[in-house]
Amino acid sequence: MGTDRYAYQSRLRHMDPVAKLVLTFATVTVCLFCGGITTGIVTLLVMGALTILWGGVRPRAFLKFLRIPMTFLLIGCLTIIVEGHPAETPVLFGVPVGHSIWGITPDSLYRGVCIMAKSMGVIASVYFLTLNTPMTDLTLAMRRLHVPQLMIELMDLIYRFIFVLSDTANQIRTAQDSRLGYQGFRRSINSMGTLASMVFLRAWHKGDKIFSSLESRGYTGMLLTVSDTYENGTGCYIWAAAVAMIQLSCYLAEVQFM
Amino acid sequence: MKKTQIRLYLLMALICLLPTRAYAMHIGEGMLPAKWSISWGIICIPFIAAGFCSIKKRVTAAPKVKILLAMCGAFAFVLSALKIPSVTGSCSHPTGVGLGAILFGPTATSVLGLIVLLFQAILLAHGGITTLGANTFSMAIVGPIVSWAVFKLFQKVKAPIGLGVFFAAALGDLCTYVVTSVQLGIVYGGFGKFMAVFALTQIPLAIAEGLLTVVIFNILEKYSKTELQELEVL
Repeated sequence: MGTDRYAYQSRLRHMDPVAKLVLTFATVTVCLFCGGITTGIVTLLVMGALTILWGGVRPRAFLKFLRIPMTFLLIGCLTIIVEGHPAETPVLFGVPVGHSIWGITPDSLYRGVCIMAKSMGVIASVYFLTLNTPMTDLTLAMRRLHVPQLMIELMDLIYRFIFVLSDTANQIRTAQDSRLGYQGFRRSINSMGTLASMVFLRAWHKGDKIFSSLESRGYTGMLLTVSDTYENGTGCYIWAAAVAMIQLSCYLAEVQFM
Repeated sequence: MKKTQIRLYLLMALICLLPTRAYAMHIGEGMLPAKWSISWGIICIPFIAAGFCSIKKRVTAAPKVKILLAMCGAFAFVLSALKIPSVTGSCSHPTGVGLGAILFGPTATSVLGLIVLLFQAILLAHGGITTLGANTFSMAIVGPIVSWAVFKLFQKVKAPIGLGVFFAAALGDLCTYVVTSVQLGIVYGGFGKFMAVFALTQIPLAIAEGLLTVVIFNILEKYSKTELQELEVL
């Protein structure tokens, strides 16, 4: 599902997840705090290169994932860029509405591009983590970072159940579709309601069964698993320092020359 | 001027026609400045902690609750990944805010919502890790609380249960998007602007989700009274 499929094929799959988490955390933090156009773009390029060249994710897959947040980002940025101004402001592009003028000024355009670049940088950093680390490794890493036990167990269980339930939901959906279940608004709402409630019922009963089978195997409220052995993550720490340096120098250069 | 005017109208039309179905209510990765990302995260902590305590209490009383809650979380994730038909003809994704709050109460929903949002950010790249706090606040805290309060209010005045469910789901949805607009508005100024953009997609969606939740609830009431009583909804 989603990024997970690629994470299992990644070359960095057996790398220590905490190290990957540190790399992502460092780059995201620097990118978010500094902002700036060059920092964002450089982060995007470096983290993209790391994901593709080091992690072995296919470039096409990476680009496909970059496109997902694009629509939303564009709408968000357009909303930020277009503003109301007093009538005599010089605008690049705008329409007068009453006594003011709604449009894009060089300032707001700059701001919008800044946010866009920053977002893309952060997105690329997060993709480095998610496209190279399977969910189970992430929860193990969180356990080592002392996230509460209950939270991690819920996450593990939910992660497992997502696949079970989405199979069920897809089967029901196909069955309904092949019987013209989604023709017109009224029928769609009805079919959808049936689907959701049936999935809920199945989930509930499945939960019942899983609990019985767990109990019959001696479940006392704790699900413990043996941790994988991981490769040493020194490479990640070195890259974290290097990328942070690059980002900071980009930021300083931008501040200097703008 | 005439020409730019036409161009701007075209642009606006384009914005309206863009497929905003993609989780319009999530704030995207990196859209908020660092200090706001952190502040929203901190604001969420007491609510999440309260939810955590309530879940823990229920789990120690009956260990089965943990498995069932996890199933419910997975259900919320799967539900939010489905496309629902919207009144305007386009498709959209339900938030499941109302249904979750009615079935599991606002405290447990906050924790489940947090996990579901985290999974959406990691697995599907919807929303984001940096904006997790802000998204959790609007979708897993404010929305469920409003839904639950509306549902309880309608129960108290003895209104038909369907009506309560409809308004709980629709109003929960609307409040979520108002909060999101405010969150973006505080940072970038003029939250009316964000409201206007979101309103285009969210009002029809809220109505659709309200109707959907009623249908779901009716079926559940018919076929699984015992489960609902276990959840203390009826």
